[in-house]
Amino acid sequence: MDGCQSTEGDLHVVAAAHHIVKALGATKNLTDDLRKILIDLDTHLSMITSDTDSKGGRGFVDVEEQLKQAERKILSWESDPMMIWDSGPREASEYIATVYEIQTLVDGLRRLSVHENREQKELLHRAMSVLQTAMSRLEEELIHILVQHRQQFEPKHMSSRSTRRDVVYDESFVSVEDETVKETSSRNCPSDEIGECIVDLVCADVIPDIKSIAKVMFTSNYGPEFCEAFIGVRKEALEQYSAVTEELSIEDVLKMEWTSMSSKMNKWTWSMKMIVQVYLASEKRFCDLVLGDFGSVSSFCFLEISKATILCLLNFGEAIAMGPHQPEKLFRLLDMYETLADLPQDIDTLFSEEASSFVRLQFHVLLERFGVSSTAAFEAFQVAISSNGSLYPFPGGGVHPLNKYVMNYIRMLPEYCNILNLLLKDQHVDVADQVTDPDNGPNLSLSTSCPMACHLRSITSSLESNLYRKSQLYKDEALQHIFLMNNIHYLVQKVKGSELRLFFGDEWIRKHNGKFQQHAKNYERATWSSVICFLKDDNPGSSSVSKSTFKEQCKGFRIAFEEVYKTQTSWCVPDPQLREDLRISTSLKVILAYRTFLGRNLAHIEDKCVKHTVEHVEKLLLDLFEGSPRSLRNSRRW
Amino acid sequence: MNANEYQGSFLGRISIRRNQVVVMDAIHEQELEDIELFQKHVSDRFSELSSPSDDDAVLSISWLCKLLDVFLCCEAEFEAILLMDRDPYQLSKPPFDRLIPELLDRAVKALDICNAVTNGVESVRHCQKLAEIAISALDQKPIGDGEVKRAKRALSTLMAAINLDDKDGTNAKSTERSWSFGRRSGNKDRVAGQFRSLSWQVAKNWSAAKQIQSTIYNLVAPRGAEASGLPSPIYTMNVIMIFVMWALVAAIPCQERTGLPTHFPVPKQLNWAHSLIGLQEKIADEWKKKEKKGMAGLLDEMQRMEKSAQSLIDFTDSFQFPGDAEKLQEAAGHVAELTEICRIMEQGLTPLQMHIREVFHRIVRSRTEFLDVLEKASLPVI
Repeated sequence: MDGCQSTEGDLHVVAAAHHIVKALGATKNLTDDLRKILIDLDTHLSMITSDTDSKGGRGFVDVEEQLKQAERKILSWESDPMMIWDSGPREASEYIATVYEIQTLVDGLRRLSVHENREQKELLHRAMSVLQTAMSRLEEELIHILVQHRQQFEPKHMSSRSTRRDVVYDESFVSVEDETVKETSSRNCPSDEIGECIVDLVCADVIPDIKSIAKVMFTSNYGPEFCEAFIGVRKEALEQYSAVTEELSIEDVLKMEWTSMSSKMNKWTWSMKMIVQVYLASEKRFCDLVLGDFGSVSSFCFLEISKATILCLLNFGEAIAMGPHQPEKLFRLLDMYETLADLPQDIDTLFSEEASSFVRLQFHVLLERFGVSSTAAFEAFQVAISSNGSLYPFPGGGVHPLNKYVMNYIRMLPEYCNILNLLLKDQHVDVADQVTDPDNGPNLSLSTSCPMACHLRSITSSLESNLYRKSQLYKDEALQHIFLMNNIHYLVQKVKGSELRLFFGDEWIRKHNGKFQQHAKNYERATWSSVICFLKDDNPGSSSVSKSTFKEQCKGFRIAFEEVYKTQTSWCVPDPQLREDLRISTSLKVILAYRTFLGRNLAHIEDKCVKHTVEHVEKLLLDLFEGSPRSLRNSRRW
Repeated sequence: MNANEYQGSFLGRISIRRNQVVVMDAIHEQELEDIELFQKHVSDRFSELSSPSDDDAVLSISWLCKLLDVFLCCEAEFEAILLMDRDPYQLSKPPFDRLIPELLDRAVKALDICNAVTNGVESVRHCQKLAEIAISALDQKPIGDGEVKRAKRALSTLMAAINLDDKDGTNAKSTERSWSFGRRSGNKDRVAGQFRSLSWQVAKNWSAAKQIQSTIYNLVAPRGAEASGLPSPIYTMNVIMIFVMWALVAAIPCQERTGLPTHFPVPKQLNWAHSLIGLQEKIADEWKKKEKKGMAGLLDEMQRMEKSAQSLIDFTDSFQFPGDAEKLQEAAGHVAELTEICRIMEQGLTPLQMHIREVFHRIVRSRTEFLDVLEKASLPVI
């Protein structure tokens, strides 16, 4: 609109147009956009007429009048204690319209050659001042809306995995009844699968209001102020929520003792999922809704809002990954690793810009570190088994605590099958105990040949070797066999009674059943052969032996038996079924032999030398392996 | 000594070198040479840092990047000397059974400082954004009340952020300050409440000053025989690490810097340490001066920004439309300075964070390697 000469006719057209515009502007039910257009047009038309009248004619007075009106409206709100957006939609849209008016005035004034005309300069100055006041107010309103209409973010119930007991090795494990540890198959628990879920972090109703404020502020080049305020409020909201995970220094984490570290790792696992998959996903959507029209501003704001929190979470992860890799950490580490492994896509989506690449990088580095840590913890577990040494034999020959520890530990591994297979696939395994499963179906053979299965077999093999070494500490050969029988039986039971059986396979189970049964037989041979020896019939042909021989045999048997009784009542076979089986088997042999012996020598049976009846022997045998030592010497039990 | 005597026992794992005195001497000779070279390099690198060019004033962003590079170079050399071809058992004997764990402890503290400083760079970035608002306001021609008000708001927020007492950077305080809009107060200047919560994202009781203090604790230069062996480079590396961390904390805002120690117990006669000690004293002097005025930190660009921002605030305070020509010119000068600083920050802050991150990763990796070596040395043989 430069000051070119207009003809009379042009001026009339302009005036007419101006009149129409004013008339239209007075009608009700105008949309914001239409109103803006009309105001725009009005101002431009005013400019045209003012241009031709350089002395500040009627057109120019219009501009000043407009500005005065707008100024009045804006300033009247300044002294009003109410928030504009609380006062109703009409007030809000009027305010915004006023601001657009001022913007247009400013634009128009700027386009004129302003430096020559002092009044124009002053008007522009005044308009800018009012604009600044309005922008300042809009910032306040924005913050108010964001704070007022924040939605409570209710996190879902924590998964039950956190309540699982940790498996830590100590000698007192003996006293723990492992039958009472019920493993809930929490893998399929629905709350574990949070998945992506978008919620409204701010009441959806006010989004149009926020957008309209954004639009007017950005149009006036006050975008930075909008972002400052917006980021400030949203960042604070996020930080208040994520205060669940308190910040800890690396030093603190490394010094933490196990139980509190374990619970923090749990919290982290859950927070990480919740924050990335739900909260940040929702925040990103919110930013897009509000700022989607302004290009990269949306992702910039999102990054500023979220980076401190996500980096804080990742830093905790790094501190954990740096720590010593003790076996008891394995499950928490695997939990954390799994959590991270579930999230790369989410992270990549949320932080897809170039500017946020450092977040993605840190995330992927951490993921890798966790893989390494988990593998290290697993290895530490394996080393702990083979290096667990004993100086003294385990009293009673029962199930060794190491056995319980290892079996309870590995019983939990199948849950992490997928992730472990991933971690272990490149690891060489020294499996002395190769299992071939020719008669198993294709599915099972996959189970039994996967990396984790190989490692499991290697672990039990190592455990068996260790148990064998421990058995050598017993001087009594029979006790060695009892010990091995007990422990291998325990091993097999644990495998059979859990998901482990899918990984060990039937062949392995069969083989190990055979093993403990062999030890049972060996025990019998070691103990009872020599006892029964006394009852042997040297002369099968003759009907009976001499009385003195009989007496000797009787005495020999009695002493041997009582010796066994004294010794072996303190031995332990914890498993009731196994105990029963062993007794029956022993009983059959011994009782049969004794009965036969007595039967053969009926003639010599006198009170004195036959101290125990068959029934009595039978009864005494029941006392064996109860774990409480008894003695028959000097007792007259009938 | 008969090698056969040791076979079969775990002592047999000791390096065979023990039996070969001649070879030992040669190796020892080599080691001494390596140590000497290492310390010469240290001296050279710090000497270079002490005489910065115009672009790299001490404690400027680019200088800090150079400092971090120096750290990485020294660390690499140090690791090579300590770990390459080293019998693990040697590092688990005295005095290394004390020196190495101490070094690793300091390394962990350094990691926390890296994190805190990375966070601190964010607050510098925030200041940059505020300065940019002020610049865009005052770049308008002509400048009116509106622009001046806008600039003043941004600058006041900036100054408040700079002079924020490190302790106040917690969530709770900013919540109270910022968003208490129960009723609109008559006070238009909501400056103090507007800036974003500057939570430090570090543990609540963590203190940068205390961390530095605890790294200096127990730092004793090796004496006598130890001074010519491996303990010497270990000491050197400790000093370098502490110095780098200390310089970062002095420069960049992070939680709780009151009481930052200004004295390092490094003996002056160590010839590799001259430049380093010189730098340290220079920075310490600056720190003592600044400590009295406020906690902005010594980052060169931040100091310059503070100066320009203050001048501009003075300008805005005394502004009356249409404004004094001379004052306007002066203001334009400050705006130009501010623009330049923002440009430097825009280009330099991200690389600085990446450098810190690299140092972080290197320390983690190095620590892991040392721990692995120590573990090998302590593995029992059954």
